[in-house]
Amino acid sequence: MAEEVVVVEDLSKRFGEVTAVDELSFTVERGQVYGLLGPNGAGKTTALRVLMGLERPSDGSARLFGTTVSPGSDELFRVGAMIEEAAFVPNLSGMTNLKLWWEAGGSPFRDADLDGALAVAGLGDALHRKVRTYSQGMKQRLGFARALLSRPELLVLDEPTNGLDPGEIREIRTLIARLTHQGATVLLSSHHLSEVEQTCTHVVVMNQGRLVAQGTVSELIGSAGSVYIEVDDPVRAETILRSLHGVTGIVAQGDGLVIDQSSGSRSDVATALVSAGLRLETIMATQRLEDAFLELLDGSERGPSPSVPGRAPEVAS
Amino acid sequence: MIALLRTEFVKAAYRTRTLIIAAILVGLPTLIVFAIKTRGNRPGDGPGRGNGEGLFRLAQQSGLLVPAAVLNVMSGFLLVIIAGLLAADAVAGDAASGNLRYVLMRPVRRVKLLAAKATVAGLLIWACVLVAALAALAVGVIAFGSHPLTVPGVRALAGTPLAGGFQLGASTILFRVAVGTAYVAFGFTALLALGTFFSTLTDTPTGAIGATVGVYIVSEILDAITQLGVVRYAFPTHYADAWQSMFTQNQYPHDMVVGIIVQLGYLVVFGTAAAVWFRRKDIRS
Repeated sequence: MAEEVVVVEDLSKRFGEVTAVDELSFTVERGQVYGLLGPNGAGKTTALRVLMGLERPSDGSARLFGTTVSPGSDELFRVGAMIEEAAFVPNLSGMTNLKLWWEAGGSPFRDADLDGALAVAGLGDALHRKVRTYSQGMKQRLGFARALLSRPELLVLDEPTNGLDPGEIREIRTLIARLTHQGATVLLSSHHLSEVEQTCTHVVVMNQGRLVAQGTVSELIGSAGSVYIEVDDPVRAETILRSLHGVTGIVAQGDGLVIDQSSGSRSDVATALVSAGLRLETIMATQRLEDAFLELLDGSERGPSPSVPGRAPEVAS
Repeated sequence: MIALLRTEFVKAAYRTRTLIIAAILVGLPTLIVFAIKTRGNRPGDGPGRGNGEGLFRLAQQSGLLVPAAVLNVMSGFLLVIIAGLLAADAVAGDAASGNLRYVLMRPVRRVKLLAAKATVAGLLIWACVLVAALAALAVGVIAFGSHPLTVPGVRALAGTPLAGGFQLGASTILFRVAVGTAYVAFGFTALLALGTFFSTLTDTPTGAIGATVGVYIVSEILDAITQLGVVRYAFPTHYADAWQSMFTQNQYPHDMVVGIIVQLGYLVVFGTAAAVWFRRKDIRS
């Protein structure tokens, strides 16, 4: 069984009458890239703040590496984080900022993975300039460098591409991909659907503080819609798929077929066709995460799923 | 703790405002001495400030006494503002800039961080008082020399006997100036504790600074109302001028000891309140 890096269990956070997070539960296992997706005000940042020990939960718990988080927890050393915008002391250089931040934790600067972090930041000589001369993108990259100094096992990133131009967004996305290839576990929040779709393996969808759905990206997309396929024998494929559990309709479209599913996933469709000896040339979701997300939000605002009373629907494989 | 202290000290020391404060603290004594030297003390020059006016008159005999005169003038308002700024900005300033959450996302104990911030603010307040005193001493000696001091006898009230005058040697003046400087610096302990406490309550540094300085100003106003009786003895500013008796009455007043105890009381009460609050506080900035 994979190690559970983050476990959020029935987490609630209230500010007076306002409930920012309401009985949120999810688990991030080692190596996963988990996206917290939701509109502004969904409670994503609050959940991450509780996870990082900045705020205390009203109910429930947040655990890092098996230990309940509290302010100043030792487990925080294993986490690199960027919550909201990257903040620095503006009249000090980027390098001095990194050094002071690191040493505040009680470790000598020589123990930091400076070379690795700086390679990621790619700031060059600008590192020795005062931070107040940096662009937003440079600050964000310096923030990444800071988060990576401790060779973290978990990266927590809150809206990491906010305020960046398209070029900088692509750089940050590439950077996250590189880190995940190196084995880091990532938990990132975003309201940019394309960012989550392109970066994450798993998604938690939140709305108004509550969990709306969770699962892999493909499950989420597949669960709410239909699949487009192209095979060498469409007629036989239709016959096979009509008997497949969860298929509610099949419509010809161009060279292929569009299969509507009430349950199941794309892999069920692919398995059925390949097992029957058909040559599967194309299989893809006919909707993007954006469609799924909006449908889920719409559903959550109408109330909990009738299939699972009292609970937000979970998209399980 | 040493690492945290160093971190907080570098952050505070390299701020532009620190340089501006240092420039004011060096420049103002110079300006005051220049004004006294060129204009002198003339009858009818306007209202003096109790012992302060007396100290300025005496300082013309010996530049060694200029720090006492300058601290008397500055500790009433300017140093209160500076100390309030340094103390109340410690946590709230970091919170406003977003740096606080990044420090607290490290395995750093909150109370330890708060202690480091308050210690650095306290050291900077001491440094400010010391810089002002040293600048005043330097320009004072240049302007008036380092002679012994003769304090003339005074009639405190009409009908009371004449108090005898006395003489202070250069080394005695220097020692008493050092004691007075230390007392003035320590006199901001209550303000440091209040400022730190207010700083933990808000993420708006101007609010924390305003509240801290406001409490001091209210304390000074209320302290002037003698009808309040013994209540005034607990005000943080009540014993602020006690040290001046070393120069005007040739005595180490008992009030200095009481003043130190009052300051320590504020430190314990508001320091503890700040620590308790900050430990449980949600960092929302």
